[in-house]
Amino acid sequence: MSLRRWFTQLLAPEPSPARRDFLRNAATLSAAVAIPQLASAAPRARRRRHWGMVIDLDRCSGCNACGVACRQENNIPTYGPDPTFDGARPEWMSMLWQEPERADALPSLLPLPCMHCADPPCVKVCPVGATYKDPDGFTMQVWDRCIGCRYCMVACPYSRRSFNWTEPAWTPLELQMLNPDVATRPRGVVEKCTFCHHRVRKLQEEAALAGREPTDAECQRLPACAQACPANAITFGDLDDPDSRVAKLSGSPRAFRLLEHLGTEPSVYYLKKDRG
Amino acid sequence: MAGRIFALARRHPRRVLPAGTAGWYALIALALGLIGLAIYAYSVQFREGYIVTNLRNPGRGGAAWGLYIAMDVYFVGVSFAGITVASIARLFKLQVLEPVTRLAELLTISALLAGACVVVADLGRPGHGLLELPALARPSSPFFGTFTLVVAGYLFSSLVAFFLTGRRDAATMARIGPRWLRWFYRGWASGYRFTADEHARHGRTTFWLAITILPLLVCAHSTLGLIFGIQVGRPGWYSALQAPGFLVLAGASGTGMLILATVILRRMLRLRAQIPDTAIHWLGGFLWVLALVYLYFTVVEELTATYAGPTMDRHVAHSIVTGGYSTSFWVYVGTMFLGFAIPFTQYVRGRPSVRGIAIAAALVNVGAVVKRLLIVVPSQTQGSYLALEEGTYTPSWIEWSIMAGAASLVLLIILVFARIFPLTHGHEPELTRDSTLPRDRARKLASIAWATIALVLVVVGLTDSFRLWSGGDLDPRLPYAPLIFAAGVMMLFSTAVIYELLPGRRPPRAKARIVDRARTRAAPPAVALATAIRATERTNRPTSGSQP
Repeated sequence: MSLRRWFTQLLAPEPSPARRDFLRNAATLSAAVAIPQLASAAPRARRRRHWGMVIDLDRCSGCNACGVACRQENNIPTYGPDPTFDGARPEWMSMLWQEPERADALPSLLPLPCMHCADPPCVKVCPVGATYKDPDGFTMQVWDRCIGCRYCMVACPYSRRSFNWTEPAWTPLELQMLNPDVATRPRGVVEKCTFCHHRVRKLQEEAALAGREPTDAECQRLPACAQACPANAITFGDLDDPDSRVAKLSGSPRAFRLLEHLGTEPSVYYLKKDRG
Repeated sequence: MAGRIFALARRHPRRVLPAGTAGWYALIALALGLIGLAIYAYSVQFREGYIVTNLRNPGRGGAAWGLYIAMDVYFVGVSFAGITVASIARLFKLQVLEPVTRLAELLTISALLAGACVVVADLGRPGHGLLELPALARPSSPFFGTFTLVVAGYLFSSLVAFFLTGRRDAATMARIGPRWLRWFYRGWASGYRFTADEHARHGRTTFWLAITILPLLVCAHSTLGLIFGIQVGRPGWYSALQAPGFLVLAGASGTGMLILATVILRRMLRLRAQIPDTAIHWLGGFLWVLALVYLYFTVVEELTATYAGPTMDRHVAHSIVTGGYSTSFWVYVGTMFLGFAIPFTQYVRGRPSVRGIAIAAALVNVGAVVKRLLIVVPSQTQGSYLALEEGTYTPSWIEWSIMAGAASLVLLIILVFARIFPLTHGHEPELTRDSTLPRDRARKLASIAWATIALVLVVVGLTDSFRLWSGGDLDPRLPYAPLIFAAGVMMLFSTAVIYELLPGRRPPRAKARIVDRARTRAAPPAVALATAIRATERTNRPTSGSQP
C-alpha cells in the first residue's frame, strides 16, 4: 500500500470489505437455505461499485419534483408554513434557483443532492464516526451515533447537511404516508441525502436472490428523485462500470462537477452545454 | 522571617482569610441568579429542541455554530493565559508575578469548566456525546483534541499543578484556618511536612510540570484553531493563521481576565497589601504586547483576503469590514486598539496605573468575545462557494443566558475560593530544581513505574483511536480506546503527585530535637518557619491534641 493511501486510510477509514461481504453472504446463504430451490446457488463475490449520479441541467426545468419525491420517500418533515422553522427545515435534495443578471436570460437551476464525495471533509471531521465512506461509494450515516455537534454541517463545502432542530412533527395525513423503509431521525441528529441507499440495497438483495447482479437499466431511475423527474434529467448508476449510462454521460464534454478545485471528488456530475 | 499570612495570624488569629464585604455578597447573589437563569434557559432548550435558539442550517443562510461555539473557544482561550502566566512565572523565576499565580491557575480551571459546560450545551444529543466520545472519538477530527488534550491534558495538569503548589499553604491553614474547613485543608495538604526535602521535591515537580504543560497548551489551543483553519469549504476560515491567531487572542483575553479578576478581588476583599501594583503593571505590559500582535494578525488577514483573494473570500471579508457585520467589526477593532493604546501610553510615559490597565483589560475581553463571534458566524451565513441563500444570525435570549451562566460559574468559583483559601502564597524558600535530595529508591521506582504505565496507555490508546489495529473497521479494537489515551495522559501528569506525595522515610530520632536548635540563628529557614507556626499555635489557640 502506498504511503499516501495509508495516510488517507488513517484519516477516513473504509469498512473492511471482508466484514461486509461476510454479512451479506450470510444473509444470502440463510435465504438460500430457506428457499430449497435456491439451495444449490452458491453466493458470489459482489462487485465493488462507485455509485454516482448525473444531472442534465439542459433538461432540468426547475419543477422540483425531485425535491418533493425525496421528501416523501425519506420521511423528511416540513413543519408547515410556520416562519420559526425558516432555515430549519431539513432538505436533502435542494433546488438552487439563481435569477439571471440579464432580464431576458433563463434562471440558473441546480438540483443539489449530497455529492457523496470520494474524499469527504464531513467524514474527516466527525468526532465519533457517525458518517463514513462505504466501499461502494456512498457517504453513509449512522444516525444513532450522531451526537449533534454539527461539525459535518459546517465542514461540507456544498452545505448539504441539515440538522433536526426539534422532534419531527407530522400531520395525521403525513403519518399515514410515511415510508416504512426509511427510519425517521430524532431531534439532535444531522441528516443528508443517502442516494436512496435503501432502494439500492433492496435491488441488490433481490438480484442476489435471483443469482445475478443488478443491471444498469434497473439502476438508472432508482433513487426517488431520478424516478420522479419528468424530464429524465437525473440518472443514477455505477460510475466504475464503463457500460453504464452514468459512466458514459460523465465522460461527455458537457460534464462538470461542482467545486472540483477543493479536492472533494464529488460523485455527482452535471451536464450543461453552455457554461457561460 | 514569617510571611504575610503568619503576621496576620499573630495579630488576628481569626482573620487569616479575607472577610466578606457588601460587594462580595452582591456579586455572589448576581452569579447565583445568572446560573439559575442559565439552568432555566437550558431546560427550555432541552424540552423544545434547538429551534428555540437562532441557529439554522448553513444551506439556508443560517449559522449552525453560533454563540455557544464562540464562547467555548473564548473560555478555553481565557484559560490559556492563566496557567501560562503561572508556568512562566515559575520557569523564569519572575518574583513580581508570584502573588497572582494561584489566581491565574484558578482562573484556568474555572474557565475550562465553563467552556466544557457551554460545549455540552451546544451538543444536539449531549447524553450520547458524553457516552460515545470516550469510546469512539476519532483523532482525525480536531474535536478529538478538544475532548482529550484539553480535558485530560490541560485541565487535569492545571489541577495537578494547583494542588501541588497549594499543599504548603493548605498545611498552614490546617493549623490556623477556620475549624469547619480543616478537613478540606488537611485533605489538600495530604501530609505535607515543612521539611527541606518536601520543598526540594516540589521544586523539581514544579519545573517539570511547567515545562511539559506549555507545549501541551500550545497543542491544545492549536487544535482549537485548526477546527476552523482546516476547513477548505468555508471562505474566511481556511487559513494557516487560525491556529496561531487563536493562541495570541487566547493570551490577550486570558491576561485581561486575570487582570480584571485580580483588580476586582483586591478591591473587594481588601487584598492590596498581598497583591501589589507591580504584578498588575507587569500583566498590563503582557496585555498590550499581545493585543498589538493580534491587531497585526487582523491586518494581515484582511489584506490577504481582499487584495487578490478568491471571490467568496473577498465577499466574506467585505461583509465583515463594510457589510452587515461591520458594526461588530469596528467595535472589536476599537476595543482591541484601546486595550493596546491605554497600557502602551502608560508604559511609554513611565506611569502605569492599575485603573487604566483594568479598563484596557475589560476592553480587550469585550473585543475578544466580539472577534470570536466574527470568526464563527460570517463564514457560515455569508460564506458559501455555491450561490446559496445568505442570512444573518443574532443569538437568542437562551444562548445569552447560558453564556451568562457559564461566565457566572467562573465568577462564583473565584469568589468562593478567595474566601476559603489564601490567594497569595505564604512565605516559602525559593524553589529550585536541582537541590540535593537523599536517595529514595522507592519513590524513584514508583514514579518511573507509574509514568511507564501511563506512557503505555497513551501509546496504546492513541494508536487504537487512530484505528491502526482495526483492519479497516469503523471502531477501535479496544473498547474505550480514547478514554484509555486520556487516562494515560492524566496518569502521566499525576506522576508528579506520586513523586511528591509518597511518604518519605521517617526522620531519625536525633532530628526531633531540632526545636531546641531553632532558637539559634544558624537554623535553616524551613525549620525556623515550622517553629514559628508552632509558636503561633501555642500562643493563640489551645492545641487540638495532635503533635507534629
